[in-house]
Amino acid sequence: MTTTAEKEYIISILAKNNPGVLLRISGLFSRRCYNILSIVAAQTENTEYSRILIVVQGDDRIVRQVDKQVSKLVDIEQVDVLDPKSAVVREHLLIKVERTMQNSEKLVEMANVFHANILSVEANTMILELTGDATTINSFIELYNPYHVLKILRTGAMAMPK
Amino acid sequence: MVLTGAQVIMECLLEQGVDTVFGYPGGAVLNIYDALYEYRDRINHIRTAHEQGAAHAADGYARSSGKTGVCIATSGPGATNLVTGIATAYMDSVPVVAITGNVNLDLLGLDSFQEVDITGITMPITKHNFLVKDVRKLADTIRAAFRIANSGRKGPVLVDIPKDLTAQKVEFLPPAPPEQEKHHLFPFEQRFEQALQMLEKAERPFVYAGGGVIASGASEALKTFAERLDAPVACSLMCQGGFDQTDSRYMGMLGMHGTNTAALAIKNCDLFVAVGTRFSDRVLCNAKSFAQHCPIIQIDIDSAEFNKNIDVDLKLKGDAREILEELNRRLPQHTHADWMANIAAWKADYPLSQTASDPNGVTPQEVLETLSDLTNDDAIICTDVGQHQMWAAQFYRFRHPRQFISSGGLGTMGFGLGAALGAQVANPDARVINIAGDGSFHMNCNELATAVAYNIPVMELVFNNSVLGMVRQWQKLFYDNRFSQTDLDKNTDFVKLAEAFGAKAFVIQTKADIRPVLEQALALREPVLIDCRIDKDVNVLPMVPAGASVESPILEM
Repeated sequence: MTTTAEKEYIISILAKNNPGVLLRISGLFSRRCYNILSIVAAQTENTEYSRILIVVQGDDRIVRQVDKQVSKLVDIEQVDVLDPKSAVVREHLLIKVERTMQNSEKLVEMANVFHANILSVEANTMILELTGDATTINSFIELYNPYHVLKILRTGAMAMPK
Repeated sequence: MVLTGAQVIMECLLEQGVDTVFGYPGGAVLNIYDALYEYRDRINHIRTAHEQGAAHAADGYARSSGKTGVCIATSGPGATNLVTGIATAYMDSVPVVAITGNVNLDLLGLDSFQEVDITGITMPITKHNFLVKDVRKLADTIRAAFRIANSGRKGPVLVDIPKDLTAQKVEFLPPAPPEQEKHHLFPFEQRFEQALQMLEKAERPFVYAGGGVIASGASEALKTFAERLDAPVACSLMCQGGFDQTDSRYMGMLGMHGTNTAALAIKNCDLFVAVGTRFSDRVLCNAKSFAQHCPIIQIDIDSAEFNKNIDVDLKLKGDAREILEELNRRLPQHTHADWMANIAAWKADYPLSQTASDPNGVTPQEVLETLSDLTNDDAIICTDVGQHQMWAAQFYRFRHPRQFISSGGLGTMGFGLGAALGAQVANPDARVINIAGDGSFHMNCNELATAVAYNIPVMELVFNNSVLGMVRQWQKLFYDNRFSQTDLDKNTDFVKLAEAFGAKAFVIQTKADIRPVLEQALALREPVLIDCRIDKDVNVLPMVPAGASVESPILEM
C-alpha cells in the first residue's frame, strides 16, 4: 500500500441541514479512525444547508477515503479537499490572561503588535481576540504564555477557496 | 384522501410493491398493526419469534428475490433486537427497510418507557436512517427509504416513527413523478481503452467475482466475459452461484478457505480482474502479499472501495453488469489454451475432499454433495456461520445467483433460520434449506416456531458435532489444543426440540443414513429438522492462517 507523509488537510463539506447531520459526519470519522484536528460548522447563506470545515490529519490515501466515504452520506451535497495555498484560512481565538499592575501595559502592547482586539478588562483579567491563520494564532499564544494564560478558546480553521 | 399515519405507511408499502413484511407487535406500533389488520388481504405479515428473526427474514427475502425486504418492530427493545440483523444486511449490502415505532413526539428525549434512540444506535450500520417528526413528511420519507435501500450500493435504511404520528390524520398524496435520472453511463472512455489494452496483453488472466455480480444481475455478462477472455473464474463467498460452479472455468472460492487451484492461479496469473467485490480481509488474507506481481483491474459501484484495502491499477466505477456488457461488446475472442490447461490440471490435482476417521462416519462433504444431487443443484441454501457455512459453500454445487444466502461480512451466527423463512416466503415453490451448526442453531432455534406456525416448509440441517467447530479449529492451530469454552456438551435432543415446536425431525448418524434420510425429509412439504451427527475433528480446509499469503494455504491438518 503506497502511503505518503502525513499532513493536515482541510475538508469542506456542504450538507443538508437535517437533524443529526453533524453526528453522521463525526461518527463516520471516528469509526473509520480518521483524526479530526478541528471542526467548524454553521448555516450557509441558504438556511437549508450547513457548511462544515474539518481539519484532518493523514496521508493522501486517507484523505481520498475521507472524501469518498463522506460523499456517500445521503445528506451530503458536496465535499472538497481544500489546498491551503489556494484558499483563505482563518481561525478565531479568545484568550484570557491574568492582569496585574506590572504586566498590564505589556499585555496591551503585544496585542497591538498583532492587531488583536481587547474585549474585556477586569481587575485581574483581560480577554483578547485575534483572527488569523494557525501560525499567527500559535505565535500569539506563545507570546502570552509567560503571562499566566487562564483560558484559551479557538474555533478551528475556516477556509474559503480564493 | 385523508388517512392516518399508519394507513399512509400501508399505502406506501403497496406503492413499493411490498407483499410481505416480517415483524413483531408492541405498544409503539399498535396503530401500525391495526392498519396491517385492515390491509391484511394485501399485505402478508409474518410474526417471528423474536425481532432479530424478523430482520434476518427480511434480509433473506431480499437476498433471494432482489426485492427490498421489510421488517417492523416496536420501540426500545423491539428496535434494538433488530440491530444485529440490520448490521448483517449492511455488511453484505442488502436492501432492507426497517420500520420502528417510537414513543410519542412529546415524550421523545425524556427516557420514556421503551424509548431508545434507534436512529443514533443504527447510524453506523444503515445506509441512512430517518426519525419522522411531521406526519406530512411520512409518505415521502418512506419512499426515500426504499429508493436509498435499493439503489447504487444497496443497504438497509431505518425509519423511526413516533406513535402519535401513526394516529394523526393527513392528506395522502401520490408520489411526485420521479426526477429524470441523470444516466451518465461511463464518462471514462480512456479507462475503458486502458482496460481493453490490459486485457489484450494478458496471457494468464484471473477473473474474480464478488457479491456485486449478484446485486447487479451480472451473472450472464460475467459468463460471457470469462469465455471471451478465455479466463478462469473464482468467486467470493458472497458470489456463490453468481457463476455456474459446474462450469469448467470455475476454480472455487478465493481467500481464507479458498481452493488450492485459486491460490495457484493467483500466484501465476498476470492480470487480476475483480468484479463487484470489496477485497475483504478474509479474501486478501495478507494485503501486502496479495497479487503484488500483476496489475489489478477493479470494477465496483462504490468508489470508496477503490484503494481502500488494496491499491489497484485501474478502477472502473459503475454497475458491474453494465460495465461487463460494455467490455464484452468491445472485447475480441481470446484464447489462453496453456493457461486453461494449467487450471484444469490443478483442479484435478487438488479437489476438495474430506475423509471420516471412521469408515462408516458421516462427512459434511458427502451430505452436501448428496443434497446437491437430490435437489438438482437447485435449492436455496441459507447458512449460519462457522465450519458448516464454509462446507456448504465448498460442497453444494451452486449454479444460479440468489441461491446461496449467508452472512459474509458480519458473520452472524443465528442468521440462517430467519433468513430461510424470508427466502421461502419470497420463493414459495423453491426448496429452501438452512445449513446450521449446533452452536448457531442454539442461538435462534426459536424461529422453528415461526416456520411451524405459518407452515413455511424450510429444512433445517444441523451439522451437530457438539463443539463450536470453527473456533475449535483455530484453537487447534494456534492455541495448542486449549479448547476454551468450545465444547458445547449441551446434550440437547434436537429431534425432541423440533418435535416440541411441532416440526418433523430425523437423525443422520452413519454414512448409510445420508441418502435415505435426506430423501425422506425432502419428500415432506413442511418444516423439518435433520440432526446430522458428525465428527468434531473434521476441519475446514484448505485454510490460510491469519497474516499468511493467500497463495499458500494449509492443505492438511
